[in-house]
Amino acid sequence: MNLPDTLQGAIALSVIDFFLSFIFIAAIGGVLALFPWLNHLGEIKEDKY
Amino acid sequence: MYEQLMGLLSDLVQQTGLMQIWWGNIVMIIVGGILLFLGIVKKYEPFLLVGIGLACIVANVPGSDLVKPGGLFYYAYQGVELLILPPLIFLGIGAMTDFGPMIANPSLVILGAAAHLGIFVALIGAKLLGFTLAEAGAIGIIGGADGPMAIYVTMKLAPHLLPQISVAAYSYMALMPLIQPPIMRFLTTKEERNIIMEQPRYVSRLEKIVFPIVIAIIVNLFLPPVAPLITMLMLGNLLKECLVVDRLAETAANTLLNIVTLILTVAIGSTMQADTFLNFKTLVIILLGLLAFAFGTASGVIGARIMNKISGGKINPLIGSAGIASVPIAARVSHMVGLQENRANFLIMHAMGPNLAGVFGTAISGGIMLALLGVLD
Repeated sequence: MNLPDTLQGAIALSVIDFFLSFIFIAAIGGVLALFPWLNHLGEIKEDKY
Repeated sequence: MYEQLMGLLSDLVQQTGLMQIWWGNIVMIIVGGILLFLGIVKKYEPFLLVGIGLACIVANVPGSDLVKPGGLFYYAYQGVELLILPPLIFLGIGAMTDFGPMIANPSLVILGAAAHLGIFVALIGAKLLGFTLAEAGAIGIIGGADGPMAIYVTMKLAPHLLPQISVAAYSYMALMPLIQPPIMRFLTTKEERNIIMEQPRYVSRLEKIVFPIVIAIIVNLFLPPVAPLITMLMLGNLLKECLVVDRLAETAANTLLNIVTLILTVAIGSTMQADTFLNFKTLVIILLGLLAFAFGTASGVIGARIMNKISGGKINPLIGSAGIASVPIAARVSHMVGLQENRANFLIMHAMGPNLAGVFGTAISGGIMLALLGVLD
């Protein structure tokens, strides 16, 4: 479905974009929440650099 | 002989800019002067405003060839128009940014989306005022408070509005210390502003190295329209965090970023010529940009207040406004407003999480907008 170049189109674009933004950023937050698990894989010794 | 001399002198005067100057030039020279005053005297983001201000003045002195094809400022602008400078800016920002605060507190990344309501308020406002949907989308992205992203999205949707939109975006970013605090104070109570947040957890080197790789994959997979910018941001960050290419990271974060900023500010200032800039459309775009920043700040603070309630009073709502992006200006504003309330409340690291998430929030909004408007009727 195409977005019409009207006020309704602008409202539809805004609503879809705003809620999809929340979903995408929440998904990134979800991925970041798993990051502490990476530390079980090992450790990088920074003093070697 | 006398007549010849006078004729020569008259021709000479005709060739100077003095004969071509009009009131619009004078107005824009004053605007440039105000930007210089704010940058040099008030120290509002001088790295941006000094270059923009002087270039604005010079662009409005008739007779100068700097902004015409063949002139130096003209070529500086080509870097913007060809979308070369925005990804390079992101490379430098990535190389100087520690994403640790964002990785440490994943729940706060949601504020990076909450603080972007302004984008959509400006978008709908622009449509109501007669702009096309593509133009309205480009105007809305001013509310993302991310200069390179605003330039990038505008070049894709409405390149003819680039001067107005880039000037509005960068000017408001520089003026955030003026725009945000009254809204933040209005929407929060004294008790909320005094909340001292817990120290974020330690983030390991491994996490910091994996972060840019994972984000680059996610963005290229799901948001290809904005992938060039975010990929460069993540490349810069990987250079910094992997610790084996110090020279490259340092060059990207310092020398390269300084050079690109210099060119970018001059390019933006040079677009502020009276004949194209002084019109009603510009005024509307500038006002919509202000509206976008105000609503973005407000929605971020309200979002943080809601999170504060849910968390049982552990989140200072002042960090919500930082979700608007504009790294690190918005985080500094949160920190300063917090300090004014309590000299022992250091919010900067807490505000950096939503602030960095705001960069992704803007990218996501811009990416979705470009994808949706790609199928515009």
